[in-house]
Amino acid sequence: MKKECIAMLLAGGQGSRLYVLTSDVAKPAVPFGGKYRIIDFPLSNCTNSGIDTVGVLTQYKPLELNSYIGSGQPWDLDRLDGGVHILPPYMVEGDKGSWFKGTANAIYQNIGFVDMYDPEYVVILSGDHIYKMNYAKMVEAHKKAGAACTISVLEVPWAEASRFGIMAVDGEDNIVEFQEKPKEPKSNLASMGIYVFTWKKLREYLVSDEADPASSNDFGKNIIPNMLNAGEKMVAYRFDGYWKDVGTLESLWDANMDMLSRGDLDLLEDSWPIYARLPAEPPAFIGKSALVDHSVVTQGCEISGKVMNSVLSHGARVEEGAEVQYSVLMPGVTVKRGAVVRYAILGENCQVAAGASVGGSPESCDPDAWGITVLGPGTNIEPGEVVAPKTMLNRDHKEVHTK
Amino acid sequence: MKGLHGIIFSYEKHNSLRELTANRMPASVPFAGRYRIIDFVLSSMVNAGITDVGVVLHGNYQSLLDHLGSGKDWDLSRKHGGLRLLPPFSYEETGGVRAFRGKMEALAGVRSYLEGVRQSHVVLADSDLIVNIPLQEVYQAHLDSGADITAVCTSSVDGPDDVTYFRLDGEGRITETLYPLNDPTGCYRSLEMYILSKELLLELVDECMSHDLCSFRGAVLQAKAGSLNIRSFVWDGYAAQIHTLKDYYVRSMELLDPTIRREIFHPQRPIHTKERNDASTYVDPNGTCCNCLVADGCTIEGTVENSILFRGVSVEKGAEIKNCILMQDTAVHRDAVLHQVVADKNVEIMASRTLMGHEGYPMVISKGSKV
Repeated sequence: MKKECIAMLLAGGQGSRLYVLTSDVAKPAVPFGGKYRIIDFPLSNCTNSGIDTVGVLTQYKPLELNSYIGSGQPWDLDRLDGGVHILPPYMVEGDKGSWFKGTANAIYQNIGFVDMYDPEYVVILSGDHIYKMNYAKMVEAHKKAGAACTISVLEVPWAEASRFGIMAVDGEDNIVEFQEKPKEPKSNLASMGIYVFTWKKLREYLVSDEADPASSNDFGKNIIPNMLNAGEKMVAYRFDGYWKDVGTLESLWDANMDMLSRGDLDLLEDSWPIYARLPAEPPAFIGKSALVDHSVVTQGCEISGKVMNSVLSHGARVEEGAEVQYSVLMPGVTVKRGAVVRYAILGENCQVAAGASVGGSPESCDPDAWGITVLGPGTNIEPGEVVAPKTMLNRDHKEVHTK
Repeated sequence: MKGLHGIIFSYEKHNSLRELTANRMPASVPFAGRYRIIDFVLSSMVNAGITDVGVVLHGNYQSLLDHLGSGKDWDLSRKHGGLRLLPPFSYEETGGVRAFRGKMEALAGVRSYLEGVRQSHVVLADSDLIVNIPLQEVYQAHLDSGADITAVCTSSVDGPDDVTYFRLDGEGRITETLYPLNDPTGCYRSLEMYILSKELLLELVDECMSHDLCSFRGAVLQAKAGSLNIRSFVWDGYAAQIHTLKDYYVRSMELLDPTIRREIFHPQRPIHTKERNDASTYVDPNGTCCNCLVADGCTIEGTVENSILFRGVSVEKGAEIKNCILMQDTAVHRDAVLHQVVADKNVEIMASRTLMGHEGYPMVISKGSKV
């Protein structure tokens, strides 16, 4: 059945800069903020924006992500017509199928899926951003401007502009130039990697991009510049809410801390709910000897120790005498008696044995040597063991170095 | 088809839950921070592999309907079977006006539903019981013993006053069914959970109907003690029958005990409930929280001790909550003091108010009130 607008969610990336956290799962399936996984944000935004058809493009280790999405019921995306669909790469006749070569190629390979719904507009989303956004307003602006492509942008400090893809615009926010990580930025409007395309136009450009063997089949590198060069009407859509790319360990930790301060990212505010699939667990128990300060706790938590400035996901346990500070405990983490966890991200089901110490504060060591400590899912820390700041361990307890 | 079919009774019986049941059945009284009382029996059934459950309704069941919905949250929204809500419309005798006088009358009201039951056996349960019981073991024991009826009971006589007691012989057969009983020493307390074959159930329903008998206890357990093999299944795990507000308060507070929590929230037998979308609970630097069961979506800026907070409760700065049960979305404003208070859903306590109840007689604030 025809839909006016559908969304395509790029969820196939490995998220290599999250290192051990994505050793077994795709980046969009990485837990966030106590109850969520990253993909809950774009999926919930779709539902809240009235988009009821979402294609999720998966490629890298999709098993956990697929089972998490399931029928789409938690996001109200289990629909008679439309709903959420997992779209993996597939074979075509003559053994010609291939992996998704780039973000644009992923959509190219699924032109058939989009055509089934014959939409006027397609919203292209990423599975690695934390934000609350009404896509309907952006589609409305796209329609009103009569654009071929609308790109949502965020004003960033000028000093940081060279880290982003920058959109130079004219007085009416028409995009005149796109600069990828420019040394001398012409604007401070950074692309958020969220696009609305008029499907007919995008379809043409996807087909011609595929025919170009030199192309890396990427939206940012190929499709957007090609459209600009061809003189298509491209408009910037200014977004002024909270948005963060959580593609790196530091930004993932930052975003969790941002959520705690309940400033721009207030998940307890319920006008734009973020939905999640959750196991059935009892309410959190905060024990007699517990101290919880500027932190979030989630159902299934059992806390008897000290928890400060931290995010505790469902099923996390902090035993008596243990201390957790400025850390993110993903689902099922246990911190045993007397252990200390500071400035760290602990992957799902990590066990920190009694008396161990994981991470440390920036003041505790040489500032150059300092960094967030990360334990991959399922890592066990021995009793009394000390894991220094900036260390990253995988489940086999081997150290992994960032590049 | 072999297997169990669940029937849960949710109709008005005498109870003393005061304001908590002003607008709802005991089955849908909120319990343990994020559940309704019926969730425990319903989840026990689902965890035992029961796929078809009928809930016999009568009375003020709007809130229960709202809670159960399609049964999806218990995995009971199925193409075949699943959850069936059985309102009293089909009961012609009284036109659905008068409350059922007993289980047999309630079952007679849904006789046509019982005929359509696909399973060989039926488990009957009340909806005022907090338990997490492996029903498949009870069913297996029923099959192994060759009993006509198996009744679940407990050796702990520490329960409400108005319950049924059994006297057992040395082999676990129920020889006497007693109600009321002043001195239950040596007796077993019925948890009002019974397994019997569908065939026998239909026979008993027909027999009781033609003799105008309503009570399962009187017309079956007592009258047939000699002719039927009625056996006991003694469950000595945690089981709490909630009949009075005192039961409600005491049994709620018991959940702060980790051993009881471990029994009732068994990891292999999760208690399912209707999902709500709340973010994690936030404890502010000004807030302190100790010895509390706290559901998601709460904001704690004041002091909370020995209490149970349901989803979406907010406690502002300077407020002091001790030994309280605050249900969904209760808001406690600045510097208010609450001791031994049970606040129903959406209660708002204005700044600097002081409310004190007593352990034996907690203060109840009805749904939606503003204090």
